Amino acid sequence: MSALLVVRDVVRSFGGVRAVDAASFEVERGSITSLIGPNGAGKSTLFNVVSGFLRAEAGTVTFEGKRIDRLPPHRIAQAGLVRTFQTARALARMSVLDNLLLAAPRQPGERLLRNVVGSRVTRRREQEVLARAHELLALVRLDRHADELGAALSGGQRKLLDFARVLMTEPRLVRLDEPMAGVNPVLRGELLEHVVSLREQHGVTALLVEHDLEVVMGVSDRVVVMSNGAVIASGPPDGVRNDARVVDAYLGVEG
Amino acid sequence: MSVLTSGEFWAFVGVVAGIYTILTLGLQIEFGYAGLLNFGHVAFMAIGSYTMAILVVKSGWSMWLAAPAAVLASSAAGIVLGLATLRLRADYFAIVTIALSEIVRYVATNEERLTGGSQGTINLAGAEEASDYNGQWQRFQDWFQGTLHLGSKDVAMLVLVWAVALALTVLVALSIRTPWGRVLRAIREDEDAARSLGKNVFAYKLQALALGSALAGVAGLFYAWQFSFFSPADFAPLLTFFAWMILILGGVGRAWAVPVGALVFGVVFAGTRFFEFAPFTWFDSAERAYLRLMIIGLVLIGLILFRPQGLLGKREELVLE
Amino acid sequence: MFLQLLANGLVTGAVYAIAAVGVSLVYGILRIVHFAYGDLMTFGAFVAVTFDTTLGLGMIVATAAAMVAAAVLSVGLDFALWRPLRARRANFMSLFLASIGLALVLRQAIFLAWGPQPRAFDVDPFKVYTLGSVRLSGAQAIAIVVAVVAIVLVGLLLSSTTLGRTMRAVADDRALAAVAGIDTGRVVLSTWVLSGLLAALAGVLAGLVQGTFDPNFGFTLLLPVFAAVVLGGIGNPYGALAGGFLLGVVTELSTWEGFGGGVDPVYKPVVAFGVLIVVLLARPQGLLGRARLV
Repeated sequence: MSALLVVRDVVRSFGGVRAVDAASFEVERGSITSLIGPNGAGKSTLFNVVSGFLRAEAGTVTFEGKRIDRLPPHRIAQAGLVRTFQTARALARMSVLDNLLLAAPRQPGERLLRNVVGSRVTRRREQEVLARAHELLALVRLDRHADELGAALSGGQRKLLDFARVLMTEPRLVRLDEPMAGVNPVLRGELLEHVVSLREQHGVTALLVEHDLEVVMGVSDRVVVMSNGAVIASGPPDGVRNDARVVDAYLGVEG
Repeated sequence: MSVLTSGEFWAFVGVVAGIYTILTLGLQIEFGYAGLLNFGHVAFMAIGSYTMAILVVKSGWSMWLAAPAAVLASSAAGIVLGLATLRLRADYFAIVTIALSEIVRYVATNEERLTGGSQGTINLAGAEEASDYNGQWQRFQDWFQGTLHLGSKDVAMLVLVWAVALALTVLVALSIRTPWGRVLRAIREDEDAARSLGKNVFAYKLQALALGSALAGVAGLFYAWQFSFFSPADFAPLLTFFAWMILILGGVGRAWAVPVGALVFGVVFAGTRFFEFAPFTWFDSAERAYLRLMIIGLVLIGLILFRPQGLLGKREELVLE
Repeated sequence: MFLQLLANGLVTGAVYAIAAVGVSLVYGILRIVHFAYGDLMTFGAFVAVTFDTTLGLGMIVATAAAMVAAAVLSVGLDFALWRPLRARRANFMSLFLASIGLALVLRQAIFLAWGPQPRAFDVDPFKVYTLGSVRLSGAQAIAIVVAVVAIVLVGLLLSSTTLGRTMRAVADDRALAAVAGIDTGRVVLSTWVLSGLLAALAGVLAGLVQGTFDPNFGFTLLLPVFAAVVLGGIGNPYGALAGGFLLGVVTELSTWEGFGGGVDPVYKPVVAFGVLIVVLLARPQGLLGRARLV
């Protein structure tokens, strides 16, 4: 019972409407947890709160026992929680390789002076980072595109790049924001394999926000269901699938 | 036509182009690399010039101490600007930077005791003392000229300015190739993506402003040395716009585009002074001044319309579309 | 003294307000930070002064002529410059830089056409209206009356006519408006016409109030106008009105001795910028702007 991420009673409103209403859930270390719910349930808002892009009005978010809800997004990322965005944000005018190199943690070269003073350490790290980048590019089969600009990639390729970039950050918890959105069926399988490999091969915990129930049910260890801003159910996929409240929430919307 | 072939004239044009190169290099870091819309850039040049002049003339510092202090002052001012304004959205930021540069100009114009007021540094002290910073520089320049057996003072200044300008260009070009430069470029592309990868965007933008302002300060130093006396009117927003012109003309995002843009701009701008053919002959010399500025405006518009990547920029890496 | 300053502030504020509405509409609907707007105001003032003094046709004809000329120029510039830029999907930066280039061109053209000497309108400089402890010159009185009428008309246009509501809708959310089937072409044209009319009017009023003016004066006015627009939340014409008046009044009142000796009148523009910066520090989206949703 090792909860890596604990979200407790988070509240967030927009213009008087409570988009997230005292939501709580936990993510276990080494698991794949999915956050699902009909449109407007508050998933994206909660997701944004967890990653620091929105501030919670009440409640706490704890990572490895330390509170992160008051931290700016870049510090949360530095702590090991990395997120992807719904529309893959490949940096368009930088090369695919640069996109990856950027993501590597602990780069002394990112401080300007370290390129002058202590430059040997800087350069050695840069070599390491370069090697790892090529490894990951090969993993997502984008190595042939290493020198192309981000803008040249197709939508699906950008998703793969996004994914590789996330791995590059050596994360402890990865938050994937609708990873299957806009992905063609062929690519879907590949991406799915990568998501599962997070847990299997890289020992990384994952939190997904996803609409596609099939994906979610097949891949997750745990599912958290939201409706109207509140968490209405959480547990293993099978249990949740048959939960009356969940069925109600989805059917109620799809009418 | 004789002026057109005068070495002295072209040396002068070259010096101004060199000063503009240094100024615009700062803008290249701020906008070309970090994507910051600083439209008050000239204020930091003014701070550099004035700080040095005041420290030498009023506080009796040696010019060789005052100069680095002035650059630090410019840099610090850039940091202050950043702290106050970096949280603003891009368009507000642009407008506020213009406002701040005007504030600097207003203060310089009205605080006579500090800056000599609207008449400029000639007013700082007695005529002899007022040019003291320039006097110390002249001695250095003469020594330099003598040591290298250069023909004239103008050539000496030309060599000095361009030695510094080229060295700075090399440094700027190198810096963008570092991991640090990579983060800057990422910030220009997509701040939120950079943040989600753990980069402290605010700190990097601040660094870009600090460096860009420092470069503007250096440009200010050379301006003071070249022109001896200067006044707040010399640092009008028009100069910032010239720097932007040069930036676009050369090509946004490439360090070496800056000296190229500055030279082309300098030659064209100065050269048009002496076109002795129609339609220029229709205008008297006062009117030609207006015409020249109008042409600059038209060239800027033309660049934006037809060649936004400038002379050396790459189409795919266009920042302006 | 306080009331006098307040009155002066309202007059200045009225001029800022009118110009600010024009700038705000152009930004909201066309996404252009119109750096040449100040020079458009100058253009209006100079056309008017030609009709008024050179041609001797009086202020009313002159102002009307100026407004028409500025509107025509604005529309012409849309065809010559802004349309091609839109076709190239130019972004904010390109538009901003293009407007800077345009400002340069316009101003030099005015210098070339009219020369650098200061001009003045043909109004009786000695006419004074007294309201209690407040004295208004003839020019100031005209300015404030015209300004109020203009503002009321514009306000009515924006709130009660279909065109006005459409313009506000587009200014508020362009993508949504396009989806809702609004004829953006008509809106664009209307925006240029309206902003041109307002620019000329503001220029004439500013020239009246200032007494004498030269080709640079529009640009000097432009920065406080931008400050007013940003203060009110860019793209929000009502905010621009409020911002304009606020800045006008605050700027004038800042020189009152009651405020610890008062600010040196030379520093009035600095006060305007100072207010802008202070407000933005506390509220980065402006007084009436919407907070940025991250």
